[in-house]
Order: sequence, then C-alpha cells, then structure tokens
Amino acid sequence: MRRVALRGIRAHLVRFVLSVLAVTLGVAFVAGTFSLRAMLSSTFSEIVDSSLTGDVYVRGSQPAGSAAPTGGGLGDARNAIPLTLADDVAAADGVALALPGFTGPAVLVGADGTAVSSGQAPSFAQALYLDDPSLRLTGGRPPAGPGEIALATETLAQSGLALEDRTTVVVAGSVRAVVVVGEVDFGAPLAGATIVFLDAGTARDAYAPDGLVQSITVYTDPGVSARALVDQLQPVVAAATGEAVTGDLLRTDVRAAIDDALGFVATFLLVFAGISLFVGAFIIANTFAMSVRQRMREFALLRALGASPAQVFASILIQATVVGVLGSAIGVVAGFGLVTGLREVLDRFGMTLSGRIPLDARTVAVSLVVGTVVSIAAAALPARRAALTPPVEAMRDDVVVTERTLRWRALAGTLLTAAGVAAVLLAMARPVPDGGRLLGAGASAVLVGVLVLAPVIARASLGVLAAAFVVTIRPLGRLARGNVTRNPRRTANTAGALMIGMALVGASSVLAASAQGSTRSIVAEASSADFVLRSALSDVPADAVAAVTRLGEVAAADAVTLGSVVIGSTGDDAQPPTTVVGLDPEAFGRTMTIETTQGSLARLAEGDVAVQQATARDEGWTIGTELALTSSTGSATVRVGAIIDSPAIPAPVVLPAELFDRLVPAAQRAVNLVFVKAAPGADLGELRAGLTRAVAPFVVVSVLDTEEFASELAGQVDQVLGILYALLALSVVIAVLGIVNTLALSVIERTREIALLRAVGLGRLQLAGTVMIESVLTALFGAVVGVGMGVALAATMPTIFADVGLTTLVVPWGTLGWILVLAAVAGVLAAVWPAIRAARLPVLDAVTVD
Amino acid sequence: MTKHAAPEPSVIARARGLVKTYGAGETAVRALAGIDVDFARGELTAIMGPSGSGKSTLMHCLAGLDSATSGSVVVDGAEISRMKERQLTKLRRTRLGFVFQAYNLVPTLTAAENITLPLDIARRPVDRAHFDAVVAAVGLADRLHHRPSELSGGQQQRVACARALVSRPAIIFADEPTGNLDSRSAREVLTFLRRSVDDLGQSVVMVTHDANAAAFAHRVVFLADGRVVGELADPAPGTVLDSLRELG
Repeated sequence: MRRVALRGIRAHLVRFVLSVLAVTLGVAFVAGTFSLRAMLSSTFSEIVDSSLTGDVYVRGSQPAGSAAPTGGGLGDARNAIPLTLADDVAAADGVALALPGFTGPAVLVGADGTAVSSGQAPSFAQALYLDDPSLRLTGGRPPAGPGEIALATETLAQSGLALEDRTTVVVAGSVRAVVVVGEVDFGAPLAGATIVFLDAGTARDAYAPDGLVQSITVYTDPGVSARALVDQLQPVVAAATGEAVTGDLLRTDVRAAIDDALGFVATFLLVFAGISLFVGAFIIANTFAMSVRQRMREFALLRALGASPAQVFASILIQATVVGVLGSAIGVVAGFGLVTGLREVLDRFGMTLSGRIPLDARTVAVSLVVGTVVSIAAAALPARRAALTPPVEAMRDDVVVTERTLRWRALAGTLLTAAGVAAVLLAMARPVPDGGRLLGAGASAVLVGVLVLAPVIARASLGVLAAAFVVTIRPLGRLARGNVTRNPRRTANTAGALMIGMALVGASSVLAASAQGSTRSIVAEASSADFVLRSALSDVPADAVAAVTRLGEVAAADAVTLGSVVIGSTGDDAQPPTTVVGLDPEAFGRTMTIETTQGSLARLAEGDVAVQQATARDEGWTIGTELALTSSTGSATVRVGAIIDSPAIPAPVVLPAELFDRLVPAAQRAVNLVFVKAAPGADLGELRAGLTRAVAPFVVVSVLDTEEFASELAGQVDQVLGILYALLALSVVIAVLGIVNTLALSVIERTREIALLRAVGLGRLQLAGTVMIESVLTALFGAVVGVGMGVALAATMPTIFADVGLTTLVVPWGTLGWILVLAAVAGVLAAVWPAIRAARLPVLDAVTVD
Repeated sequence: MTKHAAPEPSVIARARGLVKTYGAGETAVRALAGIDVDFARGELTAIMGPSGSGKSTLMHCLAGLDSATSGSVVVDGAEISRMKERQLTKLRRTRLGFVFQAYNLVPTLTAAENITLPLDIARRPVDRAHFDAVVAAVGLADRLHHRPSELSGGQQQRVACARALVSRPAIIFADEPTGNLDSRSAREVLTFLRRSVDDLGQSVVMVTHDANAAAFAHRVVFLADGRVVGELADPAPGTVLDSLRELG
C-alpha cells in the first residue's frame, strides 16, 4: 500500500504542489517567528551580557515608581537609592569599583539637524567611567565637562557626525551645545539604541540632582566571590533602602523580563501564523477531497483486491504526510530566509541585530511537526471517505459520488452561529464586567458557525452574486454559476479560507476607523487648548515647557506629566507602582474639558486626586476614599475628590501638580503633552510661530493645533492597521492559492465536460472567461460573507468598549468597497493559471478519456 | 446547389489520402492508412469496423477534433485540415453537430439549456418554432427543465440529438450514440436520427460497431486496419453481418 500511495503522489505531483506551497507559507511564518524571536533574544542577551558586566549590583529594595523611560533599565522598577551609598560600598573590603548608574533619556541631534533615532529603540545618555570594564574608548578622548560627549560606535555612524563635530543634545530636559570628542565600543549590537556618553559629573548633575540613583554597579577585587560580597554588603545597603544582588542573578532577571516581552510579540505573530496554517488546512482538505473523489475507482479496485479500509485510509495519510513534511521542510528554510532578509532590511534602517540567526533543533522540530500535523489532520476526513469506498464501485461504469446531506451541518452551524450571536448581544447589553471575553467567545462561535454553514448558504448566496453574470454574459455566466454551485461543499471550503482572512480584515478596518473617529471626537471634546506640544521621542523636555510658558502670547501651558507612585491602603506592602498624571488643577476648564461622573475637579486644588471611573469601580473607590501614596521621595494620604471618565487622560489617577512634584523625583517625570492656551487677543498665527521658535532647539518637539493633533494620533492607528493588514495578507494570499488550487483541480476533474463544451463550439477565450467568472464568484462569496461578518462583529465593539475610549462607530464603506474590489481582482488573478490550463485541454479528450 | 464550392454538391464531407499516424519511429501506429471516402448530403452514413480499424479516428479527423498527419478533409465545402484552432471552433459552433457515446450533456444545465447551448455559445437567437419542433420530435417536451442526472440514458441521448439538431448544422457526427443504451432506447435514438435525415434533410455520419444500429443507415462504410474495405447501400442487419463476416 505504501508503494501505491507514493506512486500516487508522484503521478499527480502538480495536484499537490499548491498544498505543499500552502504548508510552506504557513510553516515559514511559524519558523520565521521562532527564529526572529531567537534572534532578538540573542541580540538582547548580548546587550545584557556586555552592558551588565558587574559582579554585584546594588539597587532599591522595594519595587516602586519609575515610569521615566531609562535606557539602562535594570529589570523591574524599584525605589531609588542614595548616591552616597556608592562611597560606602566602595569602601568595603573586596570591592574594586563601585559605579553609580547615572542614566536617563537624551536626544542627540545628528549631522542632518534632526534627532538620531530608529523606530521605537531607546535614546539615552549615561556616565562614561574610564575604569568601567564594559566599555572601551576606541577613538578620541573621554568627554570632560558639560560641553563634551562621546558616542557609541553605531550611534556615531548613524548620526553622520565625526569626532570633533559640534552638535546639540537634549539631556534631562535642557538643550546643550556639545562637541563629540570620543567613540565608545559597547561590545554588542545596539538594536538601534542611541547612546550618548557624558562624563560622570555631568551625568550626575543631569540624572541624579536629588542625590538618588537607580543602581550601583560593583566590581570585586580578584579572588572575591560575588556571593560572599553580596552577603557582606547586604547590612550596609539595607539600612539605606537598598539591596545587593549578584550580577548573575540580575542578568538572569533582566533576560527573563526581555524574554517575557519578546514572548508576547512572538505570541502575537504566532496567532497570525496559526491563521495562515488554518487557512492552509482548507486547501489541503480540498485537495485530498477532490483527489479522493477522482480516484474512487482506484480505491474500489484496491478494496476489491483485498485492501482493508484501514490500509486505504493509511495510504491517503501517507500522502498527506509527504505533503506535510515536504511543505514544512521548505517552509523552515523559507522562514530562516525571511528572517535573514528582515535583518538586512532592519540593518539598512540603522537597527543592528545579532549576526547569529539561531537554527536550533527545537524550531526545526516544532515547525516540521506543526506543518505535518496540520496536513494529516486536514486529510483525515477525505481519507475516511476513501476508506469507506465499497469494492463494488470498481465494477460500475460511472462512479456516482453521492453528496452527503447538509442537514446536520445546517443544524450545527445554525446552533453555533445563534449561540455566538447571543453571546455578542449579551456582551452588548452588559459590557461590564466581561464584555470583552463574551465578545471574543461569541465572535469565535459566529466565525466557526458561519464556516460550518457556508456550504448550506453557498448555493443561494452564489445564485444572488451570479445573477448579474448570468444575465450579462450568456452563456458563460450560467455555466460558471452551475460550476460553483454544483459542489457547494467545495466552493464553501475554498471561499471559507478567504472568509477567515476577510472577516479579520473587515473587523480591523471598522475597528481602526472607529478608533480614529473616537480619537478625533475625544480630542475635540477634551481639548479646549489652541495648541498642543508633543515629542516624537520619549517626552517633552522640561526646559521646552519653561520656554513656552515664558512666551508673551501664552496665557497658560499645562503639562500633562506622567510618573508613578505606589498606591495602597496603609499596611499593604509591595504593591506594583501605578502610573499617575500630574496636572495643574487650573488646567481643567482652561485647556482641558474633562467630564466628571461624580465629585468635582475643583477638589484637586485642595489636594484631592481624581480617578478614572473604571479604576474606581475595579478598586472599589468612591468619593472620599482615602488613598496612601508612596514613592522613593515621600508619601502622602489623599482623598478621592472626583471620578472622571476621560480617555484623554492617559492614566488611571490624576494628582494635582504640587503633590505630583513632591512624590515623583524630577528625573522620573515625563512630560507627555503640553496644552497651550493663547492669551486673550493674541494672534494664533503669531503664537504658533513663537511656539515653533521656542521649541526648535529641542529638535523633537512639534507644535500642533487640535486638528493636527487628532490627525497625528489617528495616524498611529493607521500604522498599526498597516501592520495588521500585512500580517493578514499572508492568509489572504494562501486563500487565493486555495482558489487557484480548487479551480485547477476542478478543471482536471471536468476534463470531459470542458472537452464537450469545446466540441459544441465553446471558444478558448469563452472557456477561460467561464473559469474566471467561477473564480470571481468564489472570491466574492468568501469576501462578502467574511467582510460582512467582520464588520457586524466589529460594529458591536464601540458599545462594548466605550469605557476604554472606543466611543464612536465608524464604518469605512469606501475602504470596504475597495476590499471587495480587490477580492474580485484576486479572483481574476487566481483564475489565470487554471484558465490557461483549461483552454489548453485538447478537445479530443471528450471522447477518449477512460 | 451552386453556392457551395465543392465540385459535387451532393457530397457533404470528403476525405482524400487521409493518413493519421500516432507516435514516431519504431513505435509509430498507423491509425488511418490513406482513406478516400465521400459522405452524401441528406443521408445517414454509418462507419463500421472492428476495434482498432480507425473508425473513431476517421470521424475525429472529419469533425476537426483531431488533425490528420496528411491528406485533406473538406466539410461542407471548407477545407478543414489546415484550419487554425479558432476557425475550427467557429466551424464546430456553426456547422457541425455532435452526439457522443457518453457524457454528452453539461450536468449543471437543464435539458433545455443543454439543447440551446451551441446557439448560446455562438450568441445566435433561438428559433422558437424550430426548437419546439425538435423537442417535440425527440419527445422531451415534459422533461425540458430537468437536469441530466434526472434523465434516463435514452433521454439524455435524445437531448444530445436535439442539441445537435437545433443549430441546423451542415452535418452531425455521432460517435457510438447508442453504445451505452438498452435496445429500446437505442431504437428510439436511431429512429430519430434517421427521421432527421428523411424529414429535415439533415446529413449524419455515425460510427458504430452494432449491426442493428448500422441497419438504420442509408449506407455503411466498412473500415479495417485504417483503410476503407467495402461499403453497402440500404443495409439490413443481416446483410451488414454478412458483409462484416466477409471482411472478417
């Protein structure tokens, strides 16, 4: 039997090519994701290894607030420790060096006058210690004083600057004119990070003005064990809210944190890989179903010769295994190729990653197994069908393939869809507390239910879609309609693959349009400012805020500042820090209009805080609840004075500026936005010019009016949407391959019928036209049902997610129309090859086949 | 009858020196070894011969379904052996009708749609009166809206005959039209083909290996080993069998 199976594949290789390709694409995505993750992981590992070379680290003993993006983040956020501790540690026995880590965000202006940056990679400055073993000065000299900097080798290359060039940096919120005097080798690829080195004194003044640092790096004397030193230092540092840990422990912690983050990215990508494989499974199932249908006589013959059903079953599964293994093997290679290409592209954009693309056995094994299992699972049903062929079929002249009834399918599909719709309606009626989960479950049920129902609704839906073709293109429209409706199961499976991708595309487009619409209306409602300042990199420098406030035409410049504090009822220990916003209480009504649901924002002027409604509900806070706020610099007990419901505030809790400044150290404040109100009578055009001049030295700050601000926020949604579309494109491509596959196979299956049509005078172009109409009908069926389903499900989201800022439903009809047009075009493209094949079939086959 | 270019207007199809070779070199098979034959207008001609005699190949070459290795074929005054695919398609669409042994109908179309298919393909209007006459003649008036799968074998062949007739072709080629039918259905189909010749003046060429079927023809042409080896006018089943035995 194995020989029969393998010969079968060899004889009909073309038939399986697209199945192999489908597996290949899906597996390439899986393998690519795994190796991308491994590559990023090893890149960051190298960074960790070469930047965290200390034998022992001293850090805060409490997890506490630090929302400020610090480049050299050492694991989770902790309380800061006194700088003086460095001297105590340095004085201890066995300590060779104790280097306090002075580091924080910085902006470097490159040779072209713009900020040096690449993507979302951090941009920061740190102290350059001459005796720091992790760094090596490879050119020039170390910086001395506030007027000099050194740059990491890659940053230097990317900035286009050379040694002794003059440029500007923004460090700790102020602009400085500096000279580049040195080049520092970091010892690892930077993954796009921009690193500026300052001399230790300058770095201390900039990043530890309050005498607090995040960590101290300790190198031991030769022969001293890190563990022993930790034990020895512990009592010294514990007295000053610090703790000592070994370098190994810290490195492990940091790596684990990075792996967690990468794992999230990988999971996200794997979801799309999974969708692609699922779609690929449709192609495989269809291929085997059609191949089995065609070879009924062969199976009947084998059965008549004494093959057991199990043997026939196994022979099909062997073929599926060959398809799976072959497709997966090519897919693994393609996946590595994909990641290599991606690395080249990123490299060109200034993001250097580890040179090693790890080809580990686990990735290869997982990819092979996934591809093969999907392939076998998809072939199982057709294989069962083949196995149950009665031997008597071999004697029959014409093999009658009975179509099983669709009744059970209709019932199951209807029930599943109804349950899904019910869950979605319930989610709409009761969005809180678990609307999201209900919607997820309901949407999945609807998707699967509609896929199950697809063959049942195929005939009627295709009839409607085909009506225009039947009337206008006679008799091709009618022939094409007949072909797509004659086996609704097959058409539905083919279209089903497209349906999945299209449902997600439709849902994403509605969600994106709604998010943009919501953003615009939120900005329009919440902002009563004339201009908004925001930064392209991290935050708006404090000096920029000061410069703007000094302008004569400015009545008020309200900075929305982010920081974090630990909120807990007294006695609670080790709460994770909460992000808070610091805002001048007078900003309300002046530059911002925030709706309160309870209490009054006026209470903030008296030291109360405002909390978001959702947070208040989750935590059980009401007006008057007392909250204990703690941070590394102090603590306070405050009352909740207002409950607000505003997506415009990017944090759950708002503190009055005075309290915020007391609790959050200057180095850890990040100005998110500045809302500017013009002085009465000021000319807005002049104000804008003045603002632009004032922030120009800070390079990364832009001046936007409310309209532009909303557009820019909406633009970010477009970026995300672009990424989603790109990821979904793969599943759509595979689905289109599925259409090609089904058409090509059904052309083979219909050889005699096609020859008959040709014999009675159907021209080649007419035949090709028929195949094309079939293809377009299949594509449109998938696209219309898919997009319809996606849009309907996504349309419920503004109702369910209103309290996280999705307030407006916007259905982008224009975009949806284009999606359908694209689907039709995809249908035409998918038909090209099968149509050519059909047209090339010799007419004589009508009378000579069999 | 002078509007046709053919020298003898009473001839609807003619083959001269027709040779068809499959394969090349030592494995070459000569299916037709130089055939000269005429088919008369307004007659039902049967082509008979044992398996491998080349009778089907002859018909395929006459109908432009297969191309001859050498020789000429003139159908309804047109030399078809050197026609391009596009011209052949047009020829089949407008001047030829076909009835095959099996798989004659498009399964997704109704009987009526199958019958008008050649006209639809050619985008020619359906002559209702002619359509009704043909349908009445094959006795299918009440089955017009059925799919082929809902028709018996005999009914399917009658639909195929109706299709072949409805476009008023110059000539109908029938390849074993009764090969898959029981004797009663076969007789119905053959009677109908003969009547289309006698009543409507149609020309029909039919390949068969069944002496009873051949007996419905005006003339029988016998083939063996790719050559014409004899013919018989106004045959009866007995005389056909005698001739076959003689050729033996």
